[in-house]
Amino acid sequence: MSDADDIGPAPLDVRPARKRVWQRLSLVWLVPLAALAISLWAAWQSYEDRGTLITISFENASGISAGETAIKYRDVTVGEVEEVEFSDGLTDVLVHARVTKTVAPFLDDDAQFWVVRPDVSVRGITGLETVLSGVFIEGNWDTQADVAQTQFTGLEQPNLTRANQRGTRVVLRADDGGSIAAGAPILHKGIEVGYLEKPELSFNGRQVIVSAFIESPYDRRLTSSTRFWDTSGFSVSFGTGGVSLDVSSLASLIEGGIAFDTVVSGGEPINEGHRFDIFPSEQAARDSLFTDPNAEVLEVAVLFEESVSGLAVGSEVRFQGIRIGEVSDLNAIVVGDTTEAQVRLQAVLAIEPSRLGMGPDATVDDALTLLSDFVTRGLRARMVTGNILAGTLFVELVEIEDALPAIMNLTSGEFPVIPTTASEISDVAATAEGLLARINALPVEELMDGAIDMMDSFERLANDEYTRATPAALVALLDESRELINSNDLRAIPSDLRNVIGDLDSLIAEAADAGLIADIDAAVAAASRVATNIEQSTQNLPQITANIEALTTRANELELKALVTSATQSLNAIDAFLGTADAVAFPAEANAALSTMRALLDDVRAGGAIENVNAALASANEAAKAFEDAVSTLPALAARANELVDQTEAVVNSYSERSRFSAETLATLRDIQEASDAITSLARTIERNPNSLLIGR
Amino acid sequence: MQSRDVDSLQKVWAWLIAGMIAYIPANIYPMLLTSTLTERSESTIIGGVVELFAYGSWGIAAIVFAASVLIPVGKFVAIVYLATSVQRRSAVNRHGRHKAYEVVEFIGRWSMIDVFVVAILSALVQLDTIATINPGIAAVSFALSVIFTMLSAQAFDSRLIWDADRTQQ
Repeated sequence: MSDADDIGPAPLDVRPARKRVWQRLSLVWLVPLAALAISLWAAWQSYEDRGTLITISFENASGISAGETAIKYRDVTVGEVEEVEFSDGLTDVLVHARVTKTVAPFLDDDAQFWVVRPDVSVRGITGLETVLSGVFIEGNWDTQADVAQTQFTGLEQPNLTRANQRGTRVVLRADDGGSIAAGAPILHKGIEVGYLEKPELSFNGRQVIVSAFIESPYDRRLTSSTRFWDTSGFSVSFGTGGVSLDVSSLASLIEGGIAFDTVVSGGEPINEGHRFDIFPSEQAARDSLFTDPNAEVLEVAVLFEESVSGLAVGSEVRFQGIRIGEVSDLNAIVVGDTTEAQVRLQAVLAIEPSRLGMGPDATVDDALTLLSDFVTRGLRARMVTGNILAGTLFVELVEIEDALPAIMNLTSGEFPVIPTTASEISDVAATAEGLLARINALPVEELMDGAIDMMDSFERLANDEYTRATPAALVALLDESRELINSNDLRAIPSDLRNVIGDLDSLIAEAADAGLIADIDAAVAAASRVATNIEQSTQNLPQITANIEALTTRANELELKALVTSATQSLNAIDAFLGTADAVAFPAEANAALSTMRALLDDVRAGGAIENVNAALASANEAAKAFEDAVSTLPALAARANELVDQTEAVVNSYSERSRFSAETLATLRDIQEASDAITSLARTIERNPNSLLIGR
Repeated sequence: MQSRDVDSLQKVWAWLIAGMIAYIPANIYPMLLTSTLTERSESTIIGGVVELFAYGSWGIAAIVFAASVLIPVGKFVAIVYLATSVQRRSAVNRHGRHKAYEVVEFIGRWSMIDVFVVAILSALVQLDTIATINPGIAAVSFALSVIFTMLSAQAFDSRLIWDADRTQQ
């Protein structure tokens, strides 16, 4: 086996089989290949997706920062600003931004970009979201993909209208842009239906042009008959229609506004960009309702000899009361040859053929022919007062029945000339003078005289002394009556009377006890006979009554005035009487009389007078008999009463003339006073000798 | 029977290249997506380091820079050095190769520090609209890059270093 060690086969040169390169490659190599592939794919994808680079130039890049500021379209972020730099010469700020590939094809020449910033105005606060998030660039373009662009010029002010917003854009023209502001509302029947864009001067600088956007569906109200007018502020117009104050809403007062309306139907639909005029007021807009700003007008001239003061450019031209045009020019021209040249005032009338009732297709020549016909039939022009206070005039075309023949002069001057007739101008002075003349003609003075007379009569009546005296006399009478009534003596009378009655009562009771009744029966029987006799004797009474009636008739015939005068006098007399001390003393005396009477009655009772009553009644019986006899003489009494009445009649007759009634009355009253005194003395006498009352002595 | 993994170097190179490919997007794309109420920012690795440095946080900037840039790049360099030196059987600095291998093995496990930071921030800061942090594509790429380099280091058969020493003797 040692040989084997020595001569053993040569050691094997064991080496691995040489493999081909691709056989020796490990599968691990797939990992970097995959990583590479993924990376390349991601890079390519990123490159593909990175969007289109656009450049927007702004004057001012306030708030825009690279890598942060977004570009938004309808509030969706469609891109981002990558770089902000200056253009050559530092004139503009160039904003480079990438927008997504989906919107890039739509960025054609109608694309607009502006920076959205917070904005506070009368219309409200906008862009509030940018306070936190920072500004962003808003883009706006339509949905039609056109030739894509990458260079844009940004707007300094946001565009109010979205490119694809539904509505109609019209162009408005105004003479003055003072009340027109960008964003001001457009109102239709009071609601906001659109807004104005930024106003600009027209190309020739004579008008203000503003683009207006009317939102759908309100834009269907726009026709060729639509009129726009200015509603901002308030307006005071002082024209032929009088004074008119027009105040619109407070909002439009602050921010201005335009309103429109389409009053008449029949207008044609309008296209985008139709031109409208802005009228200064609603009235002006409505007045021009039939005016097509693009229609031709017939211009004719009128030569006035008198002053045209009060006529102005824009004054109305009326034909039979209807407005057919307006005065478009006023100037002075020389008429005639040099030797007999005259200065005439020429008013150029702009007449709209459509207003002459000729239809929309009528031409200016047609209208001229029509007017010529009218002139040969008597159509004349004249100035007529429109407003008396303002002194404004308008031109009226009227047909004069007996006008001098004339024709329209079509050839001599610049315009065809309509002949004139006398003007109807009534100015303020003339009218006021007429009014004063009529006031002057009123019978004022006669009226005043009558009134003064009446016042004088009243005054005289009031100053009459009788009128004045009557109340004073009445007052004095009342005062004294009250004084009389209030006197203690008068008040004491009732109690005294009661005492007397009580005494009489007891006296009569005592009389009954004494068997007086039978005697009283006899007395009553006698009285009954007396009554029978009286009844017989009264047969003569009708005669008395007749006489009294006659007396009454006579009394009725008395003059009332004299009676009143006498009554006044009698009142005075009564007044005087009541004022006397005697009248005041009367109650006291009456009281004293009553006291005396009571004492008397006491004495009667005390003095055993009852026993005498029988005798008294017997005497009364005799007296009744005597009275019976006396009654038999009543016819004679009646005759005497008749005489008395006759005498009274005579008295009344004399009274009717000029009587001394008052004096007699006064005397009567004095007699009453004397009677009162007599009563007193009588009472005292009775007191001294009570029996005299019964025995009659 | 083979005592050596004959495909070791191939695997090392393959994983290494994959890791380097993944490292590119990890630096290009944003690592963190930070959204606050008012703004939204994306920060890449280098950008974050520069920002931290600008704010004066030098220490943190240094840590992030070391973890995100120095260590991965150092690993790439170390592995490339090891692989090439073994292949060429170079006699230079044999001891250094051992040291290099040890370093690669040691720092491999710390390479994920960046990914950890991103993962923790993303999980913690989710306050809806006020503040939100989300990981970006770079985080995934960076994680892949780290994984690939670790696999690359593991695929390296350390015995090849000895083989190379012996053949030179």
